[in-house]
Amino acid sequence: MALISIRNLTKRYGSSVTALDELSVDIEPGIVGLVGSNGAGKSTLLKVLLGLLAPTSGDASVLDLDVRTRGTDIRQRVGYMPEHDCLPPDASATDFVSHMALISGLPRTAARERTAEVLRHVGLYEERYRAIGGYSTGMKQRVKLAQALVHDPRLLLLDEPTNGLDPTGRDEMLELIHRIGSEFGIAIIVATHLLGEIERVGSHLVAIEGGRLLRSAPLHEFVEQTGTLAVEVDEGAGILAERLAADGLAIALDGRAVLVDISDERPYDLVRDAVADLGLPLVRIERRRHRLEDLFRDATPGAPPVPAAGPVDPVATEGPP
Amino acid sequence: MSGPTSASGVAAGGGPAGSIYDIGYRRYEGTRLGRGHAIRSLFVHSLRSSYGLGRGGRAKIAPIILGILALLPAVAIVAALTLFAQFGGGSEFNDRVPIRYDTYAGTISTLVVLFCAAQAPELFGRDQRHGVLALYFARALRRSDYTLARIGGFMVAVLILELLPQVILFLGRVLLTTDIPKAIGDDLKFVGPVVAQSVLAAGLFGGVSMVVSAFTPRRAYAVAGIIALFTIPNVVAGIVVGLGSSTIGTWLTLVSPTSILDGTNAFLFDTRLGSDFFFVDLPGIAFVAAAGVGIVGSIAIALRRFARIAT
Repeated sequence: MALISIRNLTKRYGSSVTALDELSVDIEPGIVGLVGSNGAGKSTLLKVLLGLLAPTSGDASVLDLDVRTRGTDIRQRVGYMPEHDCLPPDASATDFVSHMALISGLPRTAARERTAEVLRHVGLYEERYRAIGGYSTGMKQRVKLAQALVHDPRLLLLDEPTNGLDPTGRDEMLELIHRIGSEFGIAIIVATHLLGEIERVGSHLVAIEGGRLLRSAPLHEFVEQTGTLAVEVDEGAGILAERLAADGLAIALDGRAVLVDISDERPYDLVRDAVADLGLPLVRIERRRHRLEDLFRDATPGAPPVPAAGPVDPVATEGPP
Repeated sequence: MSGPTSASGVAAGGGPAGSIYDIGYRRYEGTRLGRGHAIRSLFVHSLRSSYGLGRGGRAKIAPIILGILALLPAVAIVAALTLFAQFGGGSEFNDRVPIRYDTYAGTISTLVVLFCAAQAPELFGRDQRHGVLALYFARALRRSDYTLARIGGFMVAVLILELLPQVILFLGRVLLTTDIPKAIGDDLKFVGPVVAQSVLAAGLFGGVSMVVSAFTPRRAYAVAGIIALFTIPNVVAGIVVGLGSSTIGTWLTLVSPTSILDGTNAFLFDTRLGSDFFFVDLPGIAFVAAAGVGIVGSIAIALRRFARIAT
């Protein structure tokens, strides 16, 4: 049985805003990335899964519990880390997390013990007795994670857990998430707009856009299919793009760079020949880090490409179906 | 390295030294209590927070000063009674002191208003201001559970502020007489009115200040709003009655929390209202009804507010 099962889930706010649109997906235990740009419906989906927002239509269940009727039971078994600030500045981490443990149903002694353990796991030591108001963003994110983890949930829902962190803090948070998912044996769903982060810790990816499912697949499949080669030229990007399109490659323009889809080895030779034949001033050829925008452009043919700097010739985008 | 250096502590692979120690995650296999436990915990938390307990040192200043000031009249009277008894005084002083059961609530009402103005915004605005509501609602707690637990904790906190001095007054009066059983018998008839008046005052002051705080997460505005609500209708009613329009004055009296409580106090202790300003032509029970409507109404408004607030 799936950890989370979603069938034709629709959530509308009022009559005009559709946050989730006939979404259907099954999610298995593991570290699952829920990726989508801002406003794609990630946070709404998490709230529906927690039973906090009633779906407009369709069904969803978490741990085999229906989100419409068993919200209270779901919330006792799930830990939630919201995207925004959610910590009272005048309480210490210890006081706050143990208070949240009590609210989660742990008896007083157990709440104290679990708080100490969990704060140690997230890497808060002496500072846990100080007021949260004086914490750095990284420490606050750790407290937010700790309060979601303190009642030993079976599933963690993390909404943009690396928000506002510097590169070091980001690395530490991702490592922590990886540890919780792999060593603690807790299923995790990480909502993020940064595909690169999920690549590092996740095992499965669910991509949504405009409230619809783009794809749900193991991470490596995404990576294979979304590989792009960026060919940057000083001038003549348009000509190069036309030539490569004529050669039958899936391409897109991004400023002075031509992005070439590399699902096999063929494009490398074609690019070399095209640049040589046209005599273009080549700056560099690099394999692009897969950005979410590329993923979405590939997956939604006909959608406008990413905003590009400089003049862009309209070139048909032919992504894989 | 500042972390623990136990023999089994091994630094997590790849992590920066000293940041995370891998000493294993333990699952929690113990008891899990349900909603009732969550509600009780939040109730206790609200009660403690109202007196600044479990919060920083600064949070304790206002409630503790106001608490001491509220106790002061009772302590002073008990001290005076002690002195008087030592010099062989009879009961005449006892009967003439200005601080009695029927005047105590009125004597400290300003302090209670200040307590509400200082603490209600902390309790009902803080969770909104800092987004903590999202964490509460993501647990077994329902929105109505949250609201009722917070209200309950706060009203009990105000009730303690109202009752504790009178308990001291009672103990002082009873224990300092020669005939303790008779003194208990004399004072027992006040227990009902004292408790009833304290409950009404705690409910009305607590309820109204809670509603104001729930709608104004900004602390300063909430404090100003609460003080305004407790003083302005009162003053306006006084002016209107003074100008001779007793009908309007009467109705204004019934929207002023402090006047309502003056009225219930007079009704419960069967005394005349102290000031001519507020001697309005209403049966005493009307004030009790007004207090009841105010308490129930403010709880209903708060329930509605927290049911709709976006997190």
